[in-house]
Parts: sequence; structure tokens; C-alpha cells
Amino acid sequence: MNRRLAAAAAIVLLLGAPASAHRLDEYLQAILLTVEKDHVQASMRLIPGVAVSSAVIGSIDSNRDGIISEAEKWNYAERVLGDLSLTIDGLRLKPKLVSVEFPQPEQIREGLGEIHLELTADLPHGGPNRSLILENHHQARIAAYLVNVLVPRDPDIQIVAQNRDELQSFYQLDYVQAADRSELPILNWWTTFRARTGAVGFASVFRLGMRHIAEGTDHLLFLLVLLLPAPLIAFGSRWAGSAGVRQSVFRIMKVVTAFTVGHSITLALAALGVVRIPNRPIEVLIAISILVSAIHALRPIFPGKEAGIAAFFGLVHGLAFAATLGQLGLGRWERVGSILAFNLGIETMQLIVVAATMPSLVLLSRMRAYSLLRITGALFAGSASVGWIVERSLNAHSSVDMIVDGVAHHAIWIAGVLFAISIVCWSLPNLLNPPATAVDSPVR
Amino acid sequence: MNVLSIRTARGVFSLALICSSLAVAQTQTATSRIVSAANAFLATLDQKQRQSVLFAFDDEKQRARWSNLPTGFVPRGGISLKEMSPAQRSAAMALVSSALSPKGFEKVQQIMEGDEVNKINEANRPRNGNTGNPPNPPPDKDGNGPPPGNGGNRPPFGGGLSADLFGKDLYYISILGTPSEKDPWMLQFGGHHLALNVTIAGERGVLTPTLTGAQPALYTSNGKTVRPLAGESDKALALLNSLDENQRKQVILSYRLADLVLGPGQDGKTIQPEGLKASAMNERQRAILLDLISEWAGIIHESAAAARMAELKADVNETWFAWSGPITADPGKNITAYYRIQGPHLVIEYAPQRLGGDPAMHVHTMYRDPTNDYGRRLTAK
Repeated sequence: MNRRLAAAAAIVLLLGAPASAHRLDEYLQAILLTVEKDHVQASMRLIPGVAVSSAVIGSIDSNRDGIISEAEKWNYAERVLGDLSLTIDGLRLKPKLVSVEFPQPEQIREGLGEIHLELTADLPHGGPNRSLILENHHQARIAAYLVNVLVPRDPDIQIVAQNRDELQSFYQLDYVQAADRSELPILNWWTTFRARTGAVGFASVFRLGMRHIAEGTDHLLFLLVLLLPAPLIAFGSRWAGSAGVRQSVFRIMKVVTAFTVGHSITLALAALGVVRIPNRPIEVLIAISILVSAIHALRPIFPGKEAGIAAFFGLVHGLAFAATLGQLGLGRWERVGSILAFNLGIETMQLIVVAATMPSLVLLSRMRAYSLLRITGALFAGSASVGWIVERSLNAHSSVDMIVDGVAHHAIWIAGVLFAISIVCWSLPNLLNPPATAVDSPVR
Repeated sequence: MNVLSIRTARGVFSLALICSSLAVAQTQTATSRIVSAANAFLATLDQKQRQSVLFAFDDEKQRARWSNLPTGFVPRGGISLKEMSPAQRSAAMALVSSALSPKGFEKVQQIMEGDEVNKINEANRPRNGNTGNPPNPPPDKDGNGPPPGNGGNRPPFGGGLSADLFGKDLYYISILGTPSEKDPWMLQFGGHHLALNVTIAGERGVLTPTLTGAQPALYTSNGKTVRPLAGESDKALALLNSLDENQRKQVILSYRLADLVLGPGQDGKTIQPEGLKASAMNERQRAILLDLISEWAGIIHESAAAARMAELKADVNETWFAWSGPITADPGKNITAYYRIQGPHLVIEYAPQRLGGDPAMHVHTMYRDPTNDYGRRLTAK
């Protein structure tokens, strides 16, 4: 037997039982974790101290032939594995041994031998907030545990917290994991926020919101028809002259903002499950909202109250938006992020539409010919809404969608032509415009 | 008169010689001084010794062949001071000295001297009085020795063996690559509780990874009390004491740390930092932190140390400080707590060892730049 070992054993005897904090020898077990999106790796170094090395060798070399055979290596490694417990979000993981590396028994006996075990475990899909718990109970009586995690290579994974018990036998790693960051390179806080709130990519929900407004012609039709008379002044039961540029722009912005506030409120409430209203009546109500605004565009029925009407019907439209979002089947917290993304998408598309049409409306509203546009638009929207009301309340089929979509399909051209006409008319004011009728005062 | 003039002439001449040699020294850069010292050392060696000392610059095995353990357990490459003639030894130490700052060289000498004290202490311990041989043969030229320096766990030591395991002459020197003012090369010097890895690349000098340690961490030599890692201990305690209660709560970890996390063999790894970020410290506390870091960063010669400190200063707000263990120390003795300083280009660990004795008397420390092990950042092609 090695003399150095004897000397060490003598020191153990001199200093007493290895139970005190000042024990001479320990079985150092250092684990380094590597967290990836779909798996976690654990790199283990096991270093028995001299005074405990015989016991450790004894438990490895089960047939006591002084040689650590391949089978004995894997056997021991499996036993170490059995003393570990690894969970993610409360689910038990099944780590597999990737490689095992053993020093010569002689080196272990000297206190120099490092056993290396590489483990890996697949991670099931989960939410953005993940919690990994590693417990090591291998040779607890003599163990000195170390556990650490490498800084994740994947920038989508961010460590939030590490918690250990005093001996590092229990280790909890909390981290956030973003679904995919390929889309919008925004600030860090936003990445974290998104990781915490939405497993569905922000950009995809944002685009969904934009598409919903662009293709959901009913929402757009409501807004546009409501905007048609916005630059005009009501004169009794008729629409009279233009309210002037500044006033027109102000009113349009007011209507758009009111609509946004309205649908944001119900979108949030419905998406979070606070209110729950069946889909069909909402669709009918939306069609009615278009009819109401179409009538208003023909004859002022609520002059000066457009904003209030927009806000009220906005509440209705918001419920429909929520229904679309509900189809994604997200968890409650994921919805918070999604609602924000979806709503921003809606708002963006809305602003694009308003920005594309507002100049034309404001410029054309100064001319007599504007009534032609207003009446055409109102009749188109009115008849479409009637078609929808019938279709949606009776669950019947009609060609309304086809026709409206056909028109909407050419929306860019229509907006472009409208703008061209408005520019031409504006630059030739004397030819077409009546003598100044613009009044720059608010109308009540 | 004649005699006087001869004396005067001789005086003037020697004065001129001193001045001119000083002037030469002035124009010499740190790197050229180190290169000259390396060449002077190599010139003292015979063919066989030179072969033992020289390795290829990219010899990964030799690069990583360092440890905290006595050389008897983990053989180093190169040749030891013990195997050298007095002239060779002084040339070797002159080379080590040229690569370090005066303070750094003093620290190295104190660590080596401590191992000599350790040797005497061990020899005087009542034991069976047997002598043993180092269990492992030194590695051959192809590096087919036993695995290089791992952390090891609680090395045994004791009576009669100390001459083989300890002592200030059991320190090994090796050179990787060819000493050059332009091309990168490395100087390694180490043994028990010491592993200096100095990479020279042009005017740049890199000391990472480097291990220092001490046992006994406090001893008396020629009537003087020596504590080789006094700054590492005292400045850390001063930093801890400068923190307010809230900061301390973050700095002090709730768990025990039995050893270095990134000790020998753990090159290039970056663990998730813990503790208190220096951005949450005040100016004075950050100054103490940087001063503490300089205990390692300042081991290398001044111009390289200045560049390194500038880098670490730029990183300071991203640098973390964590502590585990007792928050006080006996007067004049080392702390018995573990601490870690970690930044984007830095890992420092201070790990007291309890080998059955007083943890204040035995410590291992690690100094790393995970982004620049062996100067890889400078030498990458």
C-alpha cells in the first residue's frame, strides 16, 4: 500500500472523524451545466479525496480485481446518475450518459484521479419561464458539491436566478427562453419581456394584427365610412361645406383614436378572458355599426358625436379581434404580449390606411364633387352592411364578401386614384371650387 | 598627479559606461528585455537541457500542464531549478523576473519560499520517516505523461516525503515557441501553488491563466513575517467591509464553496456570474475592487499590467463580486472565505483549502481571462 496514503490516513485518525466542517478529505463533485433550447448537458467531475478514495474505488471496482473494467465504469456512472434528480418545470427528466472517463485506480488512490461523466437530457417544450432543478445525493456523507451553469451560448436564453441549499446538493436554475428572435432586433428589455409574455413570436402576431385589419374589410369599411363626413360641417339634416384643413385633420384623428381606445379595451378584456361574448352577435353588431356610419355619412344623425360612436363601436370590433387572437390558443400570460403585438399590428395598419386616405378626404372635401364620393361610399358600405347583417344573422351565404373583397383588393389603386384626383382638383381650385366656404371654427 | 588623472579618467569612463548602458536599457522595451533574458538563459543550457525546456508554441498539452499540486504528483514540463547549476538557476530567475513586475516577482519568490518552509515543517513532523518516490514519471518529450494538472482533491503529504514534494527548487521553467520580439511565444514557470503562463506577443504580455497559492500562507523568514497573498486577502476583506448592508446581502452567497470552480483544466469556460455587480458599487468601492484585481493583474511586468488594468477598468461596471464564508479574519491572518471576481474578461477565484488544518494557512487562487487563455485573442490567426 502506498505510503502517502498511510500518512494521510494517519492524519485522518489524528484529527478525528471526517464529519466536522474541517474534515480532511471530501469527495468533490463539481457539475457544470450547459442549457440549450431543447436539451441540457451536465459535465461532472468527481474527485475522491485520499482518505475516502479506498471506499470510492471499492464501490467502483465491484469485483475487487484492482482494475476498473468498462462494465464497472458504466455501472458506477449509472449509479451516480441514479443519485441525481433533474426536473424541468416540475417534470422529471431522464438524463443519459454520453461519455464516461475514469483515471487509473492508482491515481484515485493518490487523490488525483478525476472521474468525468458527461450527461445530457432532452428538454420538452414549455413556456418561456423555465425552472430547472438538479439534486445530487451521491455519497452525501462525504460529498463536497459544486454546481454552476455556463453562460448560455444561445442569446435567447437568459439566466434569471440560481438558488442552492448550503451544501449545493439542491440547485435551482430559473431562466427565460424566447421562442425565436429572428424577427425584430429590438432592445434587450423587450426581448426579456417578450420571452416572459409570449412564446409566439412578437412579429408574427404583429403581422397577424396588420393582416386582420387589411383583410378584415368590415373593420376598415366602418372606419372609412365614419371618416367620410369627418371633414364636413353638418347643417341641419344635411352635410354642408368643408370644415377646413386643420379642423378636418383634428376630427379624423379624434375618430381614429376613439376607435382605437374602444377596441383596445375589449380586446384586452376578452383576450384575458374577463368578458366572454359569443362570436355571431358580435359579427352582426359589426355589420350594424357599418350601416349606422353609412347612414350618418349620407345624413348627419350624430354630428359632432363621431368620436363617441367610434369608441362605442370600437368596443364591439375589439371583441372580434379578441376572437381572432383566441384562435391562437395561447396561455394567459403569453396573451399579454400577444395582445400588445396584435394591437400594435392593428394600429399600424390603421394608421397606414388613414395616412393614405386622409389627404384625399381633406382636399376633396373642399369641393362640391366630394358629395359624390361621400354618397357613393356610403351607399356601397350601406348595402354591404345590409348584406352582412342578413348573412350573419341568418347564417346564409351571399356574395357580399366576394364583392367587397374584390373592391378591397384594389384598395391601393382606388386610394391612389382618389389622391391623384384630389391633387388635380386642389391645384385647380378656381375651376371646380365654389367660392370660399371653409369655416375654421368648431361645429357643435 | 598621474595616478589621479588615471583615476579620474577611469571614473569618467565607468560613469560613461553606466550612463550608456542605462540609455540602452531605456530604449529597450519590456519584450526585448524578456527576449534577451530568455536567450541568455537558453545560452547557459546544454543541448539536452535545452531540448527539455523548449516546446512548440501551440503545444496544447504543455500549455495546460500546470496545477496547484506538488510537482511530485503532477509532473510539469521543462526543467526544475533543482536540476540546474547555480549560473543556470540565476539566469532562469532573471528571465522570470524580467517578465514580471518587481511586486509580482516578490510574490512569486514568497510563494516559493513558503514551499521551502512547508518542506521543513513537513520534515519535522513526527512520522514514520520513510521516503517515497514520486508516483508518476515525468512526461516524455511527446507529452505522453500522465494527464496534466487537474485540480486534484486533497493531496496527501507527510513525513519524510517532503523533500520529493516541496521546496523552493522544485519549480519548473519551460519556453513554448522561440523567444522573439515579434512572434508570439510563451514562458511557463511553476510548481507547487504556482503556475505562471506568460504569453508574449510583440509588445503585449498576457498572464492568463495563472494560479497562485500559498501554504503556509503565513510564515517567518529571516525574522520577518511573510504573507505571500496578503493583498489578495486583506483588500478583499476591505472591499467587503466597505459595502453597505444591502450590497452585502447580494455579495454573500448562501452556499458553501469547497474549491475553485474554474481551477486547473477548466480553460475557456465562462460561468454565470453571481453576487454584486460593480455598477451597484460607489466610486470608492470600485477603486478597492480594481486595487484588489491588481494583485493578479499586476504580477506581469508594468507595461503589460497597465494595458491589462485599463481593459479591466473599462469592464468594471460589468464586474461581479461574490463571497462565501466567514466575513471576518483574525488580525494579521488571511481570510477563510472563498470569493470570486468575474467580469467580461476576468475570473478571479480565491479558495482557502481545509486540509485538516487552518484554512487561513492554505489558499489557492486562480486568475483567468476566459476569452484570452494563453493569449489566444492576440495570437489567433
